[in-house]
Amino acid sequence: MSVWMLVSPLLMLGLGGLLVMLVDAFVDEKAELPILTAILLAVAGGVAAAGIVNYDNVALAGAPEYLTRYLAFDRFALFFDVVVCGGAALSALLAGGYLREHDLERGEFYILIIYAALGAMVLGHAIDLLTIFIGLETMSLGAYAMVAFRRTSARAVEGAVKYFLLGSFAAAILLFGSALLYGATGHTDLAGIGEAIEGGNASIKLVLMAMFMMIVGLAFKVSAVPFHMWTPDAYEGAVTPATTFMSVAVKSAAFAVMVRVLLTVFGDDLSASAASGWPPVIAGLAAITMVYGNLAAIGQSSVKRMLAYSSVAHAGYAMVGVVAAFRVEEIAVSSVLFYLMAYTVGNVLTFGALIWFGSNGREAVSYEDLAGAGRRHPLVALPFVIGVLTLMGFPPTAGFFAKYYVFNAAVQAGGGMIWLAIIGVLSSAVGAYYYLRVIVFLFMKEPQPGAPIAIPMRSGYVAFVMIIAGYFVMKMGITPGPYLDLAMSAAEQFVS
Amino acid sequence: MFAEYLPVFLLLLVAVGVAIFMFTMASLAGPKNMTPEKAIPYEAGSNTTGARHIRLSIKFYLTAILFVVFDIEAVFLYPWAAMFRRLGWQGLIEMVLFLAVLGVTLVYAWRKGALEWEK
Amino acid sequence: MSTSNFVLFLVSGGLAIVGAIGTVASRKPLRAAVALLLHIIALAALYLTLHAELLAALQLLVYAGAIVVLFVFVIMLIGPAAEVPSNPRGKITRLLSLVVGGSVMATVSFALVGHTAPRLPMLRNEAGENIFGTVEGMGVAIYQQALVPFELVSAALLVAIIGAIAIARSRTPQEQAVVVERQAERIELAAARDAELAQATAKVGS
Repeated sequence: MSVWMLVSPLLMLGLGGLLVMLVDAFVDEKAELPILTAILLAVAGGVAAAGIVNYDNVALAGAPEYLTRYLAFDRFALFFDVVVCGGAALSALLAGGYLREHDLERGEFYILIIYAALGAMVLGHAIDLLTIFIGLETMSLGAYAMVAFRRTSARAVEGAVKYFLLGSFAAAILLFGSALLYGATGHTDLAGIGEAIEGGNASIKLVLMAMFMMIVGLAFKVSAVPFHMWTPDAYEGAVTPATTFMSVAVKSAAFAVMVRVLLTVFGDDLSASAASGWPPVIAGLAAITMVYGNLAAIGQSSVKRMLAYSSVAHAGYAMVGVVAAFRVEEIAVSSVLFYLMAYTVGNVLTFGALIWFGSNGREAVSYEDLAGAGRRHPLVALPFVIGVLTLMGFPPTAGFFAKYYVFNAAVQAGGGMIWLAIIGVLSSAVGAYYYLRVIVFLFMKEPQPGAPIAIPMRSGYVAFVMIIAGYFVMKMGITPGPYLDLAMSAAEQFVS
Repeated sequence: MFAEYLPVFLLLLVAVGVAIFMFTMASLAGPKNMTPEKAIPYEAGSNTTGARHIRLSIKFYLTAILFVVFDIEAVFLYPWAAMFRRLGWQGLIEMVLFLAVLGVTLVYAWRKGALEWEK
Repeated sequence: MSTSNFVLFLVSGGLAIVGAIGTVASRKPLRAAVALLLHIIALAALYLTLHAELLAALQLLVYAGAIVVLFVFVIMLIGPAAEVPSNPRGKITRLLSLVVGGSVMATVSFALVGHTAPRLPMLRNEAGENIFGTVEGMGVAIYQQALVPFELVSAALLVAIIGAIAIARSRTPQEQAVVVERQAERIELAAARDAELAQATAKVGS
């Protein structure tokens, strides 16, 4: 098989996106853009998955040089193709229900999803500072516009401005770090930079400065504390399908870059250079992110804002796996990959359920809005319950194994990382409080007399997404084996 | 290097010099007797009314950003056009793809009314 | 570096710093934009000292010609008289940000002192001439080496345009019609539901 099969997910999104644009421009309002977008993304993700399975049959050696110089077509990258495409396809379907119900339907949203997903996939493939930056900007520009999509809402605009300013700032810092790396080593490809650093051919002062800046820039993108300030406002202000997209696809892609840059550029515990001193930094960030994210989530009265802080906390858990990759690469990287996959379906399920509970321009946002809704609409509340349980890490859902593998990787790595695992377990116990509170409100509270009650929307799209996401959450929780194998094979090939 | 661009710098120097000269001469040599009529913005027109700044339509902003993006596209065209023969078919395909993407975007902008001027 | 080049570097570098400080420090947006223009032109001169001649020209074309114009446009949009309100933050926060920013700058400068950039192989054409920074060199770099990133740039530009349209445009007449139709449907649906509910309560009552 030719290498073009591995390239085709990127090509399909790039060219298919143009097709969707033409359909939106020339076919009248009856065009079913959500379905079209979701099919395009799902097919691209499917091809990437087929690529992972048949990876050994692909003739990578014959790949043209201009292709492999800037993008890697390894299993690690393909894995992120699958995760990003899956998350984006489900977000697009959620948008199909949500935008229509709240009279926000405009075709641009789907095009932004497609091309932001393309940027996110490029980030997974990127092995050069140049492609990292272009991918990051493509993805981020799409995300900024999606947050500002409901432009008449002051909250959306506030969130978008904060996200845009801080995001651009982070991108500038990342770019500064990249420039310093280039200045220190004379390379822009990650492997070349890594070799130069490892071989001692680079000024270590410059490399450390660059590392600091790259970590700050990436920490912004994964919303790690203390670089998370934009997260609650942007997540709350954005239309909920955009929040879903940001919390799954954007975050996964940022983690892909983080893992690749830290391991190939700055090295693991086998490398002699002082640049491999990054683990304590990431470990510190992970610890405060987990603790702060969970504590801040408790105080929220809005479920959407609570989920934003929960996504901050989840970034902390995934970073535990990133730290452990320093020593036990295969186990740790695969745990991060599994985590991101489980988190993607879990978050889509939870945000989707929140979307389902809003109709006709009125969304369910706070806990009070949900009071008693579970007893009135048990079928609609079911995915919500499963969603918060998997985010909490309750067995037998995907979230349980995700957390288990990540903490296990930390324990296997040993040393100070065991403490990190302990902090992680304790803070997720704290997290149980606010996740269970959702269930309490759904089933055990009654709405205040006279208060507006949540009426679920009628949307086939949202129901379909709930079924798909719910299926994978349960499947990965009951038989995690095949999914872990997939993550393992992606990690194994990457670490080599 | 510096010698090659000497004319440019000389031109800059002359431009700045002329500007400074004109301003200083105007303030030194010009007669100054200010009257209230002379102080108002439009000396010969009707009296000004209304707020000092009006809010312009967001359409202007959209046009401006479209201009910037297509300006950048033109920048990419220049080195390609200068090396058209050497780049051959590969270069042509690359550029057609690049222009197709932005062409579709332009068509999209047009169909969605982003280029309309009324309202 | 020859002496004349060094002089050019010092002058344009100094002007770039002055422009950058002016951009962030001026209260009036329009003045900040003009300071930015100074910075951008000085930056183009700095590119000249690096022999990146085409880049210097493009820098003037894109940044001075388009982006600063866009900024001025936006300043006109919010009103040329708009002034930045005085910083609401306390003295301590401002001092702290000065310390943090200053120490980052100091560390970077410290890291850069005494560092010589690695020698890179020159970009040469078939005849063996140095083509770095020329139109030919840029053409080779963009269209033969970096053609994948080049195509990806088109996606980035596309997202920028679509994003701007998504935020700025109002509904087209067709979309407005769909929304009106859907709202009418919903009102009907709600009315039907109410009628059902009323019937059901009437039954329970009787």
